[in-house]
Amino acid sequence: MSMKEKDVVQEPPCTSESLSNYLWKDKPDEDKWADCVHCGMCLEACPTYELTGQEQHSPRGRVHLIKSVADGKLEVNEQFMDPVFACLDCKACTTACPADVDVGGLIEEARGQIRQAMPLTGWRGAVSKFFLHRLFPHPGRLQSAGNLLKLYQKSGIQTAVRKTGLLKMMPEHLATMETVMLEVKQSVRKKYHKEEVVKAKGETKNEVAFLTGCVMDVMFSDINDSTVNVLTRNGNDVAIPKKQTCCGALHVHAGDRDMGRKLAKQNIEAFEDADTVVANAAGCGCMLTEYPELFREEEIEWRERAEKFADKVVDVSKYLHDSGYEKPKAEINTKLTYHDACHLAHGQGVRQEPRDILLDIPGVEMVQMPNADRCCGSAGIYNITNPEMADGVLESKMENVPEEVEMISMGNPGCMLQMAMGVEKYGRNEKVVHTIQLLDWAYQKEDKQRGQT
Amino acid sequence: MLRKKGLKTHDKHIKKLAAIVGPKEILFHKEELISYESDGFTIHSHMPKAVVFPTNTEEVAEVVKYCSDNDLPFLARGAGTGLSGGAIPLNGEVIISLVKMKRLLSVDLENRRAVVEPGYVNLKLTNSISDKGYYYAPDPSSQYCCTIGGNVAENAGGAHCLKYGVTTNHILGLEVVTPTGKIMEIGHDGIPDAPGYDLLGILTGSEGTLGIVTKITVRILKNPEEKQTVLAYFDDVADGSQAVSDIVSAGIVPAALEMMDKIAIEGVESAAFPVGHPKDIEALLLIEVDGISAGINEQINEILDVCKKRNVRSVKVAQDDEERAKWWANRKTGFGAMGTISPDYLVQDGVIPRSTLPEVLKRIGEISKESGLRIANIFHAGDGNLHPLILFDSRIPGQTDKALEAGSACLQACADAGGSITGEHGVGIEKREEMRFVFSDKEIEAQTDIREVFNPHYLLNAGKLFPSPGRCAEVKKELKAAE
Repeated sequence: MSMKEKDVVQEPPCTSESLSNYLWKDKPDEDKWADCVHCGMCLEACPTYELTGQEQHSPRGRVHLIKSVADGKLEVNEQFMDPVFACLDCKACTTACPADVDVGGLIEEARGQIRQAMPLTGWRGAVSKFFLHRLFPHPGRLQSAGNLLKLYQKSGIQTAVRKTGLLKMMPEHLATMETVMLEVKQSVRKKYHKEEVVKAKGETKNEVAFLTGCVMDVMFSDINDSTVNVLTRNGNDVAIPKKQTCCGALHVHAGDRDMGRKLAKQNIEAFEDADTVVANAAGCGCMLTEYPELFREEEIEWRERAEKFADKVVDVSKYLHDSGYEKPKAEINTKLTYHDACHLAHGQGVRQEPRDILLDIPGVEMVQMPNADRCCGSAGIYNITNPEMADGVLESKMENVPEEVEMISMGNPGCMLQMAMGVEKYGRNEKVVHTIQLLDWAYQKEDKQRGQT
Repeated sequence: MLRKKGLKTHDKHIKKLAAIVGPKEILFHKEELISYESDGFTIHSHMPKAVVFPTNTEEVAEVVKYCSDNDLPFLARGAGTGLSGGAIPLNGEVIISLVKMKRLLSVDLENRRAVVEPGYVNLKLTNSISDKGYYYAPDPSSQYCCTIGGNVAENAGGAHCLKYGVTTNHILGLEVVTPTGKIMEIGHDGIPDAPGYDLLGILTGSEGTLGIVTKITVRILKNPEEKQTVLAYFDDVADGSQAVSDIVSAGIVPAALEMMDKIAIEGVESAAFPVGHPKDIEALLLIEVDGISAGINEQINEILDVCKKRNVRSVKVAQDDEERAKWWANRKTGFGAMGTISPDYLVQDGVIPRSTLPEVLKRIGEISKESGLRIANIFHAGDGNLHPLILFDSRIPGQTDKALEAGSACLQACADAGGSITGEHGVGIEKREEMRFVFSDKEIEAQTDIREVFNPHYLLNAGKLFPSPGRCAEVKKELKAAE
């Protein structure tokens, strides 16, 4: 056996403490990569590996990189940052992994190290700070920004901009985004600002608290409106806690874990009295369930509260499915397909519930989308930070949208914007809708028909 | 994401290689290369010089020719899921990654064959022809992600190889780039029994030491008319093993006959695809029979009888495709699932005559006790292809060595029982020394002589497959460095 001993390239035994190049607080969790045996089952699940074919852009490759920094073989630098920030955070690898390795959690922890080691400076830093610190956490400011946008849309400036060709001067992906920008309406928080609780229509069966989301409530207020309608119609008193804030997902994805913790604490407190916290944006809902991760090493006294809070969070489709809802009687005659938002399917394991809701609407015919749970490339603000990769991911997503459908339904606003861009870019004409919107429309149609008869 | 700022290097070889494949299709920074320091076998690791991503045969040939002319060691890599270290750049090789050559080139249903590029993923072939009623039979557990090129190199097996044979039985033709950069076609697209030497046979399973496959013509099969799957739980491993022998002796040739022991069950049940197997059983068998509908039920009844005779605790037949798929997902992700019960594992791949199953499993149990390491068994019992999974923690000093010793002892037990040291994972780096358990020096030399004909400069994947690297200076240096 002497040959064998000689043979083996032995890395010196090390503990991550002695050699680790993670020098900042809130370090990546060794237990997470210890589960990875490098089997490769994650490769085909990963959209960035599919596009690049490169190991460092695959889940196991990224895990290996993150481990290598802890082993002292690599440093936290630009080259390390590249693959870590190119991850879409879609969590498809977590579904594929036989050992349930939490790749997404590791990526976010590594991003935290990168941002502490290399804080964003210059205009990138300023832009990131403006959005993540000064805008998203402040509903009032977001509303004002929304009003500006509304002004832009209503005053004719938008028409003018589109005519002048100013759009041609913008980067292509931002220009496409502008064309699919939604019409800003009144936010739910503003609409119900005088009420502590929006009362159930009819008898109260349950009480829930509703996370309105930050951007969602301004840009997608229609969907929030629908969500409140659907919940109250099905016997739920809906509380909209005033102290709630942005979920912090974008901050955590960007490596700003301190801000993530700050927002998490505010939300945990805001929803302390609620037994059930309903979210209608998959990305936000998923983030809320992951709050305990933020308090693994830092401010651990919050961990238990975070765990308790996480247990209360549920996506609106799952909540309705489990608590029961009235099947609409009016028909919406349409052929549609369903896209699994990553943070619903991979993040929260919610796949069948939204499909069941859609199929309960009379007249709805569902066409299966191949690879329905493949990321669309939206991934929070990934489509802004990594446009090239996001475009590639979107292209393969759009190829899978069946030709014959009129609508694409899903449960996440980020996906809706990205898919709308896809529809625009590839000359398709499907309408992009939120599952709950469709259910609400069916109810409204039913009420209208009842009014007529 | 992808490199935006051009090539920043003074290395002339990197520049030349980049000129062949394009500046975006080469990796050479440490942070990019480190993910390539090992494949699915992680006990060894070594940094490559560069990784190139050719997109066609001509580029592969050019890269190979350049390496060959400039004395640069090189090797081919597919998805990097190999379990014996065949794609580890032991000598700082230029890795030729074939994952961008991933097209399905043609499907010829009439003649039951398909042509694929080497980076095409195994399961995608079946998925793309299943609606027409056809499939590709070799089904390694990694089939979700492994490439057919890699399957050819390793002569990969799989659960259903008991009835349908391993990769070599399904390869009809190959396009190969030789280690000096020539493009060669072998096999005549499935014309049987071609005159001359059986080069297809030599190339298939040569573990990337004789050439780089750039196009593959494979056999495709018609879906069986019917399929039935049985799950049987045993309180005694010996009873389970005996049932395996009895089933085959009864004249039944199942499509698959798989076994898992208690520790393996603990792993898969705590992982992502649990079935709900009881945790206190000692062994389970997963048995599948397929073929024309007539007679399937009789075979199933016979299997149920055999199990009952061998004191099965409970046995059931899958009620539908969903249940069958669940059982198979649980089995096929078994290796990766070990991650939930151990930070590292080493999987062995011994083959034994079926009748010796009970005694060899007993010996493996003893090896586990002697080494103090837990050993799980998940394997293709039907063809006697064992996969002892030795669980260890590389962070504890000395455990890696102990695991390697235990692995070697398992292979010795297989060889002693009249078997062999590998069934489907290949020899790679891992089992080089153990080749001596089954071959004499003369027999090994006869094989390295063949290698010399194809791979005269020994620049392609040196240090793999055989012990005593002999002439390769690079490998000697490597061994010295490791001392």
